Amino acid sequence: MATDDASAEYDAGQSLGDHRSQFEMFWREFRRNTLSIVGGLLIVTMILIAALAPVVAPHDPVRQFDAPDGEHNPMPPGTEMTVKNSDGEAVGTMTAYLGTDNHGRDILSRSIYGLRTLLTVSLGVVLFAMIIGVTAGAIAGYYGDTWIDEIIMRFMDVLFSFPSLILAIAVLGVLGVGKTEYGDFVLPNLVKIIVVIGVVYIPSFARVMRGSVLKEMEEDYVDAAKSLGASDAHILVKDVAVNTIPTVVVQGTLYMGTAVLASAALSFLGLGIQPPKASLGLMLSNARGYLYSGEWWFSVFPGVVIVFAILGFNLLGDGLRDALDPHHTEEAAE
Amino acid sequence: MSMARYVLKRLLLVVPVLTGVSLVVFGLVHLSPGGPVRVMLGPLQSEELVAQIRTELGLDEPLYVQYATWLWDAFHADFGTSWTVQQGTPVLELIAERVPLTLELSILSMLLALVIAIPTGIISAVRQDEAADHAARIAALTGISVPNFWLGIILIMVFAVQFSFSWGTGGWTPPWVDPVANLQQLFLPTIALGTAYSALIMRMMRSEMLDTLNKDYIKTARAMGISTREVILKDASKNALIPVVTVIGVGLGNLMNGAIVTETVFNLPGIGKLLIIAIDRRDFRVIQALVLFVSIVFVFANLAVDVLYAYLDPRIRYEGRD
Repeated sequence: MATDDASAEYDAGQSLGDHRSQFEMFWREFRRNTLSIVGGLLIVTMILIAALAPVVAPHDPVRQFDAPDGEHNPMPPGTEMTVKNSDGEAVGTMTAYLGTDNHGRDILSRSIYGLRTLLTVSLGVVLFAMIIGVTAGAIAGYYGDTWIDEIIMRFMDVLFSFPSLILAIAVLGVLGVGKTEYGDFVLPNLVKIIVVIGVVYIPSFARVMRGSVLKEMEEDYVDAAKSLGASDAHILVKDVAVNTIPTVVVQGTLYMGTAVLASAALSFLGLGIQPPKASLGLMLSNARGYLYSGEWWFSVFPGVVIVFAILGFNLLGDGLRDALDPHHTEEAAE
Repeated sequence: MSMARYVLKRLLLVVPVLTGVSLVVFGLVHLSPGGPVRVMLGPLQSEELVAQIRTELGLDEPLYVQYATWLWDAFHADFGTSWTVQQGTPVLELIAERVPLTLELSILSMLLALVIAIPTGIISAVRQDEAADHAARIAALTGISVPNFWLGIILIMVFAVQFSFSWGTGGWTPPWVDPVANLQQLFLPTIALGTAYSALIMRMMRSEMLDTLNKDYIKTARAMGISTREVILKDASKNALIPVVTVIGVGLGNLMNGAIVTETVFNLPGIGKLLIIAIDRRDFRVIQALVLFVSIVFVFANLAVDVLYAYLDPRIRYEGRD
């Protein structure tokens, strides 16, 4: 993706050492790539839809509607469904644009709420891993090549070698779905899922952060701050961390795609958010029972939403990475 | 660092990893709220029965004694007998009869991924920024964005339902019994699992290939009049393949993960399906043994890859792993 003239531009921007112009270089580089713009727009749209789910979704995701035969069968897109009030009296009709599921619930509304769930979990996973990984990596990098660095990074090596999904499946499976109670201590389901999926992403953030901090520590401004008597914590947080934020954000975006995939897979296996709450993976899992009877809308639409979410984050992440560092292909090999 | 020292250093990392894994796996049982016996028996059984079974299973011993006993047994491949999946059957037997399917599915998927990815990656790099490259890259990006369980569902719907294609819709015949039926059954699952990896490997292959093509000695060889075809196939591809080895190795470990989900979609009786059943029925011994087994495979696959990589590319030994 990095053409020769693009790298030249980047070098020019970097040698100026001016943060504003570096950002301009970054933006110019990013804008040139149509696919990353598409990814960015896709993600912004999805986040807006998810955040505004109560406004955007045409119906309550758990409300059941009656098919024309009076049952709660899966109905194809465009079916007119009967709306009943709590006394069971028909009070009107609604059109299920993407069809209904096996409980007569609106697939469009459930997909929107499912997207909201999926993005919440994935964002939680990445933020959790990012906060812990970045802190650990920053400390390791700041004390580069001392025993503190060694201990932190060897621990990260161990964590990195853990087989992620199988441990997540086993831990969630054993803890049981829903909230877990140990006496008075209650572990909410969402927190549990986030921690279990997120824990194995910590090392990646720690490594990236450590690398960036090591690089920054060689800069003159750090020596200057040190000679002025700034404390370690101050230098680490105020000076070094601020300059490494872009790298971490790119890494986070790239990991969002992975987190979405893992969350959707766990929820497909029935180990994620529990019914009747809407979850895209669970919708697909339910749809498996209707593959042979031709109810295609049941499995197609929730899957398309998952694919768009992953695709969006991958496009955006790739674009951000290339814009931030057009040399990445060369560096990766060295 | 000599090769021997590197291997030794890398082997040493395996010890804390496996210790960590064994602690998590052992701890699993004790993490369950109310303890494993209560979870297994359900809330209706009496406290006395729960206490009696706890004693029988040795769950009243101090934790370190239980851990040591469990570890000792695990070293001797003794995982006891199943409680609820298939009462009385040795856990090892349950796993052993399901491993061939999962292994076969993983290997077939990896082969499919390589067959697609390596030529596509090379063509994409050689024809950089041409139509073929754009098409290949968009296909690869789509490939990594489609969850294998959804692809599986779509494959079943399109092939099995629309075209009444009876392959790959559940069940498994061992290849030594009927190889044709075996391949038919794994046809769709292999596509579902293999395509995502082909996308990953293709992206890696392309970027390594681009990098190698820009190296001076390749440019020199081309300038010296050695045919481009020969340079690409003989020198460049060979070099570009080195880093790809890592992706393949990590992929093999991850394929185990993918197999769990794929087996669920296609209703295949592999170890993934067994894990899901064991979780459903709270058969802790089966869960523990399975997680340990998959973790060991994963850890040693990674080890093998790191060592192979260091052997192929001596720079790694000098630079360390970070």
